[in-house]
Parts: sequence; C-alpha cells; structure tokens
Amino acid sequence: MNPEHELREALRREPAPEGFAARVLAQTRIPPIRVTPWWRRPATLALAAALLLTLMIPSEISNYRRREQQHGLEAKKQLMNALAITRVQLQQAQARVRRNTRHAL
Amino acid sequence: MEVDFTRVVAENQSLVFSLALRFLRDRSAAEELAQDVFLQLYSQIRHIETPAHATWWLRRAICHRCIDEARKRKLRPRIGLEEVPEPSIESRQSDPFLYERVRCLVAKLAPNARMVVLLRYQEDLDPTEIAETLNMPVSTVKSHLHRSLALLRGKLEKQEVCG
Repeated sequence: MNPEHELREALRREPAPEGFAARVLAQTRIPPIRVTPWWRRPATLALAAALLLTLMIPSEISNYRRREQQHGLEAKKQLMNALAITRVQLQQAQARVRRNTRHAL
Repeated sequence: MEVDFTRVVAENQSLVFSLALRFLRDRSAAEELAQDVFLQLYSQIRHIETPAHATWWLRRAICHRCIDEARKRKLRPRIGLEEVPEPSIESRQSDPFLYERVRCLVAKLAPNARMVVLLRYQEDLDPTEIAETLNMPVSTVKSHLHRSLALLRGKLEKQEVCG
C-alpha cells in the first residue's frame, strides 16, 4: 500500500457548495454600518455650539461695556477740555470788553 | 494592477473550502470559515497585487484560521453522511471507503501535522512552500510529513477502524 497515492486521491479538492461564490459576493455588497463617532453627531455639535455661545456672550457683553465706558470717559475728558478752553476764552473776551468800555468812557 | 475579487472567489473557492472541509470535517463550519476568509481578503483587496498573490494570501489565511479554530474548539472529528462525497465516475473504479478512512485518519492528526499533510497532498506544495505558508521551519515540515506518513501507513496496514 502506498499511502502517498491514497492521500492524494483521498484529499482531492472538493468543489465549493453551490452558490458559495454568490453568497460571498452578496455579503461584500452589504454596505458596512457606519457608526458616527459621538463627537461628530449633530446633537453633540449643537450642544458644543450652544456651550461656546454661552461662554462667549457674557465675555463679549463685558468687553462691550468696558469699551463703551472707556469711550464715555474719553468723551467726558474732551468735553471738560473744551469747556476749560471756552471758559478761558470767554474770560479773555470779557476782560477785553471791559477794557474797551473803560477806554470809551 | 487591480485584482478582480469576483474572479478571485471563482478561482479559489474550491481551494479554500476544501482545505477547511478536510481540516475541520464539518461542512457548515468549513463554509462559514471559507466565507470569512474571502470577506477578510475583500477588506484588504487594495493590498493584493496579483491573482497569484491572492491565492497565496487565501491559502495562508485559511490554514491559520483552521488551526486556530481547531485549537479553540478542541475539535473532535465528526463524520456525517453529508461529508461522504457522492461517488463520482472515477471513484467507482477506486475505493471510496478507503479514501474516507484515509480522510478520517488525517483528521485525527494534531492540527499542525494535519495542515502540513493537507498542503502536501491536497495542494501539492513542497516542504519549503508549506514552511512559508505555516511559518515553521522546513525541518519541522519534513518531520511532520515523515511521522504522519509512517502513522498512516501503520494504521492502514493494520486495517484499523477509524471513528
């Protein structure tokens, strides 16, 4: 008995079951289930946007107030300067008027 | 070069299925494992360069999956009626009972030795190719073949019943 010959005969390739290739190919056509990661889900994005706005709005309001206050202070300073200049000019004009009136008399 | 997956399946289905069937001796498990291996290849098809590369990849993958499966399940060979092939015209002249006994004796070999025998006598690979496929030294492959042949010869001569 030649076991090599018996082995070759006994272990011949067997055809795959009917429809095997079709079943494999059908499975490759099933679209893979895509799981969206939690950080890319619309709800997460909306929540992140809301959180960002909640954090940004108060700080923006406070910045706006600080800027407006600074503008107000500058305007006040300019107005005080203008009033001081006007006062000096008025005093000078008044003094000139008085002098001229005295000469005229 | 792009490999046509449909053609790869058509050309290699018998190779992959037969290796799994002869190794596991369980038709449904063999089909399932063969399908898995083809789907695994499909997911990596962009790394496959030629049809020969696909065949090499499939043979390697099914061998390792079968050995893993056998170790996992501590598989005991089962013989069902569905596993006995329909006698073909050719096999009418030969002895289908003897071949079934040979397959049963092969199934009783240890997983590595069993796969070495399958690759040698089903796939007609030489020891160097078998060593490369199974990641083992050529000397180990030769030793598995030598011992397995001696064992099978002894059991066949003694007309030992397999089951």
